[in-house]
Amino acid sequence: MSAAAAARATGERLASADAAGLNATLHWSQRLLDAEAARIEAAATRGPLAAVPIALKDNIVTSEQPTTCGSRILDGYTSPFTATVVDRLRAAGAMVAAKANMDEFAMGSSTEHSAFGRVRHPLDADRVPGGSSGGSAALVAAGVVPVALGSETGGSVRQPASFCGVVGVKPSYGRVSRYGLVAFGSSLDCISVFGRTVDDATAVLGAISGADPLDATTLDRPPMPVPPVRRDLRGLRIGLPKEYFPADLHPGVAAGLERTREAILDLGAEVRDVSLPHTAFAVPTYYIVAPAEAAANLARFDGVRYGLRRVGPGGDIRALYQATRGEGFGAEVRRRILVGTYVLSAGYYDAYYRKAQRTRALIAEDFRRAFATGVDLLLTPTTPTPAFRAGEKTEDPVAMYLADIFVCATSLAGLPALSLPVGRSEGLPIGAQIIAPFFEEELMLSAASAIERAVPATAEVR
Amino acid sequence: MSIGREEVRHVARLAELAVRETELDRLVDQLNRIVDYVAQLEQVPGEAASEPFLPGPHSVALREDTPAPVPLRYPPADMAPEFADGFFLVPRHGAMEEA
Repeated sequence: MSAAAAARATGERLASADAAGLNATLHWSQRLLDAEAARIEAAATRGPLAAVPIALKDNIVTSEQPTTCGSRILDGYTSPFTATVVDRLRAAGAMVAAKANMDEFAMGSSTEHSAFGRVRHPLDADRVPGGSSGGSAALVAAGVVPVALGSETGGSVRQPASFCGVVGVKPSYGRVSRYGLVAFGSSLDCISVFGRTVDDATAVLGAISGADPLDATTLDRPPMPVPPVRRDLRGLRIGLPKEYFPADLHPGVAAGLERTREAILDLGAEVRDVSLPHTAFAVPTYYIVAPAEAAANLARFDGVRYGLRRVGPGGDIRALYQATRGEGFGAEVRRRILVGTYVLSAGYYDAYYRKAQRTRALIAEDFRRAFATGVDLLLTPTTPTPAFRAGEKTEDPVAMYLADIFVCATSLAGLPALSLPVGRSEGLPIGAQIIAPFFEEELMLSAASAIERAVPATAEVR
Repeated sequence: MSIGREEVRHVARLAELAVRETELDRLVDQLNRIVDYVAQLEQVPGEAASEPFLPGPHSVALREDTPAPVPLRYPPADMAPEFADGFFLVPRHGAMEEA
C-alpha cells in the first residue's frame, strides 16, 4: 500500500472511531496525514516502519499539532519543537496519525481524568481502558493504528495494555529519550510502546531507543536491535514472585496466569518461586515520590509561559498563578500537587519523602536479589482485575491507585517490563507481565514473542 | 497524622493553587486518606537516611563540565527587535522609567 493510501485508510479509521464515541483522539486531521504521506513518498529510502501510522499520547510534543496533556491549562499551546522519538519514528518511515487522549498530565489509571472526557473501552463502552495512556491503548485495541506511543511513570502503558488486550512495553529508564515528553515524575518517566503484537512493539522500540544528547538521562548505548526469533524457552529460568499472586487475586487473572505458566513450561523453561519482600510498599512509595516530582515539574504551568491565563482577585502575579492553576488543573492533578507539596514541606520531608527514597532503594534491591538467584525473567499478573467500570473508583483515589499495584515497583526500580494479552475472562482481556533485568529488553521481547505464539490472546480462560 | 482545613490552605498557598472554600472539606477528606495510606511506610525497617534513588547501574551520566553554547532553535537575532555583536540592544538604563 502506498503511503498516500495508508494515510487515507488511517483517516477513515480515525473518523469511524471518533464517530463511534471512543473519545480516544484529541487531534488529528486528514491534511496532516496527507502531509506525512507526502514526506514519506518523497524520502530517498523506505525505512523499517514505512507508512506505519502511529498515535502519540498527547504529552509527546510535535510542532504541527497542539499538545494538551489532557489539560485545560495548556489551552492553545503548540510546541515550537518536536520530540526526539517523533523525529526517530519519522526517520524510520512512520507517519504520525493522531494525538491520543490521556489522563491529565498522565495522572490516573482509567483515562477518566482527561479534561476532554473519558476514553471508552473498545470492547465495553461502560468500562475504562486503563490509564493514563488509555487513548493510545484504545486506538491500538480498536484496530485504528497498529502501534502507538504512551508514557509510563508508574505503569501507565502496561496497565491499559492489559485492560485493552494489547501488548505494552516499558523500556529501561534511560533506554529512550524523553526530550519532548512533558515531564511528570522525572526519575520515573519512560516513553513506552503499545503494539498489536510483540513484534510490532519491538520494531517501534528499536526505532526510538538509543542515546540522545538532548536527554542527559539516556544511557550511552546503541539503539536496541531486533532480537532473534526464539522458537522455545529452553535454558531460561522464569521466576514467579509470590507477592504478586495473593489469595484474593481475581479468578480470571489467576487462570490467565496459570495458562501462561503452563505454556512457559511446555516451551521448555524452568519455573521457580521467588520473593520480592517489599512489594507491598511499592504503591505508597510511588504515591510519595511521583507527586513530589510532579509538584516541582508542574510549577512551570503558571499562566505566564503557556496556555490558559486567569487573573486572580488580587490582580498581582501570585493571584494570577493561583487562579490559573486552580482553574486550569483538574481535580486529580490538584490533589497530587497538594500531596507532593505536603510531603516536601518543612517538617514532613524526612517522614515521607526521605523514607520513600529509602524504600525505593529496597524495592530495587529486591529485584536485584531475585535475578541474582539465577532467574532470567519474572512473570506476574499485570493488574489485579480486568478493566473496571467507569466511575467505580473516581471518588476514592486510593482505590484507583491500587489498580497499579503490580506495575509500580518496576517503574520505581527503572526496569524493563511488558504486558502481554493471555486470554479473556467474561470477555475482558487479561494481561501477563514479564519483567527483565536492566537493559535486557531483547531477552524479554524474544521470550514474550514465543509465549505470544503459544498462548491464545483472545480465548476465554475458563 | 491528620490534615485540617488550615493545613490544606497553607499547602495550597505553597503550591500557588487556588482552592475554593466549597471544595475544602472534600480535599481535607481525600488528602487525609492518601496521607494515611502512604504513612504505612513507617513499617519499613531502617532509619530514614538515604540519598535520592536513581534507577539504572550508572545513575545519571554527567558530561564533561566544559562551557559550550546552548544550541538554539532560532538564532538570537530573531528573538528581539535589535541584536548586534552578540548582544540584545535595549533602551538605555533609566530611559524606560516614567518621567
